[in-house]
Amino acid sequence: MTAATQARPPGGASAPERPDDGAGRAPAPGRDPLRPPADGRRRALRWLAGGGVVLVLVASSAIGLDLPTLVAGGEDVANLLGRMVPPELSDPARIATLALDTVLMAFLGTVLATLLSVPLAFLAARTTTPHPAVAAAARGVITFCRAVPDLVFAVLFVRALGLGVLPGVLALALHSVGMLGKLFADAIEGADEGPREAVRAVGVGRVRELLNGVVPQVVPAWVSAFVYRVDINLRTSVVLGFVGAGGIGFALQDALRGLVYPKAMGIVLVILVLVAGMELLSMAIRRTLLAPKNPRYGRDRAVRLAVGGAAAVLLVVSFVRLDIDPLALVTSVPALLAVAGRTFPPDLTTLGPALWEALLQTLAIGLSATGIGVLLSLPLGLLAARTVAPHPLVYGAARTVILVVRAIPELVLAVVFVAAVGLGPVAGAVALGIGSIGFLGKLVADAVEEIPPGPAEAVRSVGGGWWKVLFAAVLPQGMPAIVGSGLYLLDVNIRTSTILGIVGAGGVGFLLFEAVRTLHFQVAGGIVLLVFVVVLLIERLSGWIRAQLS
Amino acid sequence: MPAGDEPLVRVRGLRKEFDGTPALGGVDLDVARGELVVLLGLSGSGKSTLLRCLNGLHRPSGGEVTVAGTRVDRASARELRHLRTEVGFVFQQFNLVGRLTCLENVLIGGLGRVRGPRYGVSTYSRRMRAEAMAHIERVGLAAQAYQRADTLSGGQQQRVALARTLMQRPQLVLADEPVASLDPENAGTVMDLLVRVCAEEGLTVLCTLHQVDLALGWADRLVGLRQGEKVLDRPAAGLTRDEAMAIYRRVEPAAVAA
Ligand SMILES: Nc1ncnc2c1ncn2[C@@H]1O[C@H](COP(=O)(O)OP(=O)(O)O)[C@@H](O)[C@H]1O
Ligand SMILES: [Mg+2]
Repeated sequence: MTAATQARPPGGASAPERPDDGAGRAPAPGRDPLRPPADGRRRALRWLAGGGVVLVLVASSAIGLDLPTLVAGGEDVANLLGRMVPPELSDPARIATLALDTVLMAFLGTVLATLLSVPLAFLAARTTTPHPAVAAAARGVITFCRAVPDLVFAVLFVRALGLGVLPGVLALALHSVGMLGKLFADAIEGADEGPREAVRAVGVGRVRELLNGVVPQVVPAWVSAFVYRVDINLRTSVVLGFVGAGGIGFALQDALRGLVYPKAMGIVLVILVLVAGMELLSMAIRRTLLAPKNPRYGRDRAVRLAVGGAAAVLLVVSFVRLDIDPLALVTSVPALLAVAGRTFPPDLTTLGPALWEALLQTLAIGLSATGIGVLLSLPLGLLAARTVAPHPLVYGAARTVILVVRAIPELVLAVVFVAAVGLGPVAGAVALGIGSIGFLGKLVADAVEEIPPGPAEAVRSVGGGWWKVLFAAVLPQGMPAIVGSGLYLLDVNIRTSTILGIVGAGGVGFLLFEAVRTLHFQVAGGIVLLVFVVVLLIERLSGWIRAQLS
Repeated sequence: MPAGDEPLVRVRGLRKEFDGTPALGGVDLDVARGELVVLLGLSGSGKSTLLRCLNGLHRPSGGEVTVAGTRVDRASARELRHLRTEVGFVFQQFNLVGRLTCLENVLIGGLGRVRGPRYGVSTYSRRMRAEAMAHIERVGLAAQAYQRADTLSGGQQQRVALARTLMQRPQLVLADEPVASLDPENAGTVMDLLVRVCAEEGLTVLCTLHQVDLALGWADRLVGLRQGEKVLDRPAAGLTRDEAMAIYRRVEPAAVAA
């Protein structure tokens, strides 16, 4: 019965239609009873959706992104790809070392981030903080770390400490605190109070109350966040080399600068293998460590010890192989603080209108990339949902495309598009837009697969075909989740678009990079401040919209 | 009544308010060493609040609370921690750390006796591990010692919680509706066990219960609470079931008049 009411054109699709009017409420006199009664919130959402579409279109035309450009760009990319094959792996020994370094950097950076995040999370969590003011401050630090892109930290740290892996590792660590700190704190807040109270009743102080009553409960969530973050940091660490912060990005940039495209393609393939390998490894870890099917003490302990031991060995290897003196982590702090200090007071005036133009361009890139991402991800994600795909082969192909795209860092895509269509925001927007498939396509597919099958069966039982089922049952139900993911994508894309300038793909990143290169630290400080504010605003806005939807 | 000049628990005029709403309005209570006292009362009558004020999980709003010679109402954080090592607390919801094994949960009971952080079985001394094992055997769960606590039934979990309390080597056991989450059969078994081991160890017990029959069978003394006031305090011997049930009558004429 719901099927009939839901079978309306999907025009206002972003605001899911809920037939909550009808029988109970009598239509007001003089109103068309066939139209749903006016609802302020729903109307506002519809305006918001329409405004969003207009904004994306305006943004695209502002950076010169239109259909002819896209078609021409497609040809350029095809040309470039043609020049890239057959991929070539010259000096495999060097590439292998760089690849190993990259993995170790990602791991070490995440470990350091974890060490910073654990105390921060206890201070930030409502249930464990010593004082609400402390919690607010800790949350502020975490938000700041998330809002400043890792490459921005890397650019600044390379200035402070010189070229090398250490600034790269520290940049990864600091930015990761933004995610790990938040996830750790959320896990602490979600922990059951009972066991903690039982430990307190035994007569121990605060530290042991938390260690024995809370930590055992949150360890699985923490490990899972850690593994997820290593995965993300691996993708970032392959591009740290672009700003001189070590890893395989060095080699990739060399190859691209020297226009040795087959070599670049070879390196990209190595990166693909790395990222895919990491994906498999993290899946295996999740299965064996976090959700064993039938827990058995002896075996689980052995697995925990083995994984823990391997991690410890890897940590030692990281320090040795990357040639980082553990003490340097501490002794480098003054240099980092000095550079941070030189960004004060932030300077927003020297660059004049160029700064604001670049900032607008960044926003425009993020918006149009999200538009492209949604356009591509919706169909692809639907085809990649087992419950919707018309054929298992289609399902497999769509999932593969998503996986491959997910494995390529956005900045690598941006480099490729810059090489193909030239410097500028179009390359950046297209690269980000295509990169979005890996993220949004997966979320759409997963969201659609989780939809309960009842309404789809109802539509099928009244004789609806594939398209009818899609529009009448699948899309209306999946829409809130899809819109939520789209907003999160916008958030991510705007953050990424602030660093695209580093490879010449438009936006405020170019100015930032130049300011640091020419030692105008206060100008750099002003740009970082703006990026921080913009990211914060977007986050708040999308948080608000998501709250309205649910 | 068992010997002992000074009562182990001495409460005078205990008041507790939550954001201005009174939960306890001036309660007096003495519990002698070795005594088993059962607290009865409708839910919301303040039983849990009273128990929690005894080991400082709640701070009293007024009155005097002395437990094992410590003035709980004005104890420092340090004194409170020390007192808690002497007082076992059994929770209605067991409050085990579900992901840890039974043995690890029992070892937590011994934390108050050792210094420094512990995490995982191997961080405790052999002697403590042997002691924890002995307590687990005593509650009849030796075979489950290395099983995760959340894989056990409710009755088994409460027995592990009891072993944790024994591991504390307490003088006093406070049990807050220890069997309210269990089916009648398990409730009987767990109560039996609790009363038996506490008697064997000579522990003093203050226990809240809903089952009047269980209470009359085991208790030395029954104390009834109603809306934060003590309305009954008599030895169990000679008390009839109807007299005890009177505590559960919804309204008392006096309460309406008030
Ligand atoms: N942590 C708390 N915060 C606010 N009010 C509480 C809290 N704990 C108990 N109360 C209130 O105190 C009164 C007594 O509760 P409680 O001691 O739990 O009763 P019982 O254990 O007899 O069911 C109730 O009105 C309850 O709502
Ligand atoms: Mg209670």
